[in-house]
Amino acid sequence: MGSSSSSLSNVPNSQELLQETGFSAAHLLRLYERFQFLDKDNKGHLRSEDFEAVRELSENPIGDRIVEAFFLPGQETVDFPSFVRVLAHFRPKEKNRTREGAQQEPEPANSRNRKQIDGKISRVELLQVLREMLGMPVTEEQLQSIAERAIQEADLDKDDAISFDEFRKSLEKVNIDHKMSIRFLK
Amino acid sequence: MAVLGPGPARFWSGFTMVLLMLLIVLILTGSSWTRDVLTGHNDTWREPSPATQEDHDPDQHNGTNSANHRKAFPVLAFNYGHVRKPFEISLWILLALLMKLGFHIIPRVSHIVPESCLLIFVGLLVGGVIKAMNEKAPVLDSKLFFLYLLPPIILDAGYFLPIRAFTENMGTILVFAVVGTLWNAFFIGGMMFAVCQIEAAQVSHVDLLSCLLFGSIISAVDPVAVLAVFEEIHINELLHILVFGESLLNDAVTVVLYHLFEEFSHAGTVTARDAFLGVVSFFVVSLGGILAGVIYGILGAFTSRFTSHSRVIEPLFVFLYSYMAYLSAEVFHLSGIMSLIACGVIMRPYVEANISHKSYTTIKYFLKMWSSVSETLIFIFLGVSTVEGPHNWNWIFVIFTLILCLLSRVLGVVGLTFIINKFRIVKLTKKDQFIVAYGGLRGAIAFSLGFLLTDNEMKHMFLTAIITVIFFTVFVQGMTIRPLVELLAVKRKKESKGSINEEIHTQFLDHLLTGIEDICGHYGHHHWKDKLNRFNKTYVKKWLIAGERYNEPQLISFYNKLEMKQALMLVESGSAAKLPAVVSAVSAQNIQHQREAAPQRTIPRLSKTREAEIRKILRANLQNTRQKLRSYSRHDLFMDPCEDDMSEVRFRRQRVEMERRMSHYLTVPAKRQETPSVRKVWFEPEHKVYTYDDSESPGGGAIQLKLRPSDTSLLDESPQSTDRSPAPQSEDQSERQKPSRCLSDPGPNEDEEGSSFFLS
Repeated sequence: MGSSSSSLSNVPNSQELLQETGFSAAHLLRLYERFQFLDKDNKGHLRSEDFEAVRELSENPIGDRIVEAFFLPGQETVDFPSFVRVLAHFRPKEKNRTREGAQQEPEPANSRNRKQIDGKISRVELLQVLREMLGMPVTEEQLQSIAERAIQEADLDKDDAISFDEFRKSLEKVNIDHKMSIRFLK
Repeated sequence: MAVLGPGPARFWSGFTMVLLMLLIVLILTGSSWTRDVLTGHNDTWREPSPATQEDHDPDQHNGTNSANHRKAFPVLAFNYGHVRKPFEISLWILLALLMKLGFHIIPRVSHIVPESCLLIFVGLLVGGVIKAMNEKAPVLDSKLFFLYLLPPIILDAGYFLPIRAFTENMGTILVFAVVGTLWNAFFIGGMMFAVCQIEAAQVSHVDLLSCLLFGSIISAVDPVAVLAVFEEIHINELLHILVFGESLLNDAVTVVLYHLFEEFSHAGTVTARDAFLGVVSFFVVSLGGILAGVIYGILGAFTSRFTSHSRVIEPLFVFLYSYMAYLSAEVFHLSGIMSLIACGVIMRPYVEANISHKSYTTIKYFLKMWSSVSETLIFIFLGVSTVEGPHNWNWIFVIFTLILCLLSRVLGVVGLTFIINKFRIVKLTKKDQFIVAYGGLRGAIAFSLGFLLTDNEMKHMFLTAIITVIFFTVFVQGMTIRPLVELLAVKRKKESKGSINEEIHTQFLDHLLTGIEDICGHYGHHHWKDKLNRFNKTYVKKWLIAGERYNEPQLISFYNKLEMKQALMLVESGSAAKLPAVVSAVSAQNIQHQREAAPQRTIPRLSKTREAEIRKILRANLQNTRQKLRSYSRHDLFMDPCEDDMSEVRFRRQRVEMERRMSHYLTVPAKRQETPSVRKVWFEPEHKVYTYDDSESPGGGAIQLKLRPSDTSLLDESPQSTDRSPAPQSEDQSERQKPSRCLSDPGPNEDEEGSSFFLS
């Protein structure tokens, strides 16, 4: 899974990244190795084709969205710091981070829901997500009614879209902190 | 009675209850007394000897009590022996149920004291009465317990197990169940052996193996007791599933240890080889039990695929297959409990996709009914058996047992949590640990296992100690856990209406996390879960789910059930005017049964604005509906508003009214309707991603029939014509006069209800 370099000094900006994201050195190293593994041509950055090479991701209904989330708006490539920063969102939270974590956690999930960065999830976007997730045997009308229902439930200010606060509120019973954490990244 | 205020009325009804109870007790004892007169000698209650029956039948036949040879024709005969056994069984069950009723009539008591305590208390009373009459009371026979009383409770628990919570915490639960129970058994056994060496105790004849046997019996947390107590305190789900899951899974350990030590205590010594075999046996017992359960579960699921023509017997399949799983496991001395749980868990998603709503409701109610009765009987018998004895009270033994039980539990939980927390994302706090430790109740399983021991002095001493521990845990811990929970402000079960948003986003998060894991190249929790789901979808569902429904994504069925439930609720509330709103919601995903492999769903097209208005009204009215704090209690039968015939008639009337109002509604769109007083409706608490929503709609088919024709009437300006001809815009619809249904509900046979209703 790795290339030859196995020391932290080879990782660019390692100290800043450690500070910023809170990963441990071992983790950062592991992520760097993974990054290099994905980076087949050794370019130093990842493009969307590299992501698509991950086989399981192509089976994932929202694979495209996930991949997109790594790319900052307007950019074509993902360098290692961005890669790490995105993954840092999925670190299991420790106690002292819960306060900010509670704010931050729904953010990435939300951002993946939104195509246009306008701060809201509109019906269209929700429909798209549903369409991707549900796949074939579902008709348009069903999707629409589900989307309607979802927006109706969450939309408190009745602007026909779900803002970030409404989103968070509707999911307050789902313990996002716990859900959005991958043990591997602790 | 109505004249009096509620207080005196309750008192009087409570009084009549007590009188009734006394009456039954007297009958019970009187029956044995009468029997003695008739048969002429003292039998034990439970085994009537057929010989004596026959002897006296010719005598009794004549109706007189002495032998007459030339008799008049007996106008009235008394032949109690004929029905004795079923009669007594029924009386006992009746007594148990009346007790249950009685407790809830006296509210204050039932609030403080958990039901299990009250039932044991009643059992003590009954036992005392029986003893006073010098009769032999029925004891909690192990065979009766393990074969008849325990399975319903476990099946009920297993069938409705919250899968997601269970699998998420599986590691923790397993550690507690296996390692915790082992620790308990050996600690208690070892320490008791040390205690027995004390001269003052006069029990030095108890050897190490017997002590270990005793330790293994008493170490297991009991699912029945845990269920009985934890339900009433409505604790948060994590703790509930931890303690409850532990109590279920430790059965394997208990079985192995029990048999192991029992074998050895006869042999006298234990070698390393035996210990190794013991370990192997553990794996065989647990995995074998699970395997047996899985086999029967798959069989049950497969059978349910073909039951579309005989819906009435569907529930029976579920019960019988599960019971067979349990019995088959018991044949091989495998863990029957794990087998039962595995069977229920495996069977459930497929069976629920196949059976009708009515069958589903039947299963649910029957399971709850049986488990309720079983639990009640268990506790009462426990009380009776306590009075019955035989006892051998040894102060030191009993006291030390009690202390050691508590101590080992606390140490075990704290120690294990310390280790477990290193691996958990969601750590267990001190409060959680306390509740887990405190919730380790012992119950009837320990008693029954003790009862199975060979009859000697030691056994009686053990039994006494076991009973004492059971009483202590159930009474003291059971009664104080509720105030403690409140005192410590432990998180309670949250009320949560099932929300489509939650469902969507939970699934979304699942996919998201799986994707991230894939990017990281890490085969984690989500990865395997995803793989399992995929396997399930591609291979398993095809075989086990009838028709085309295996394609239905979970989100859709969840949504359907949600909508249907709301439809029912709104209909029941009596406002027909709201129905159109609900109608469109339901109709929008009204799908025809895909018998003809027609890939298209036929759904009437509603204009967006229309839909929006409808939804506004729907939402406005929904938010006004009072939703009571929904806390799940196993014994609450949810008030089902549609369960009577009256509602059928009402539906028809409402439907007519509704169509009348339709035109009015169409012309006055966005006006907010008045909300009538809504009856309190209980919502189901279980809304996890992996389990289907438990919706209550016995009349599901009826509702959908009703709603479907009206949906199209929204756009049709002449509502009267909707009866026969659905709107023209949906082509396929007009072909089929039969109503369509949500895919997640096959509904009753169309022939029975469909046409008649439709044409009415």
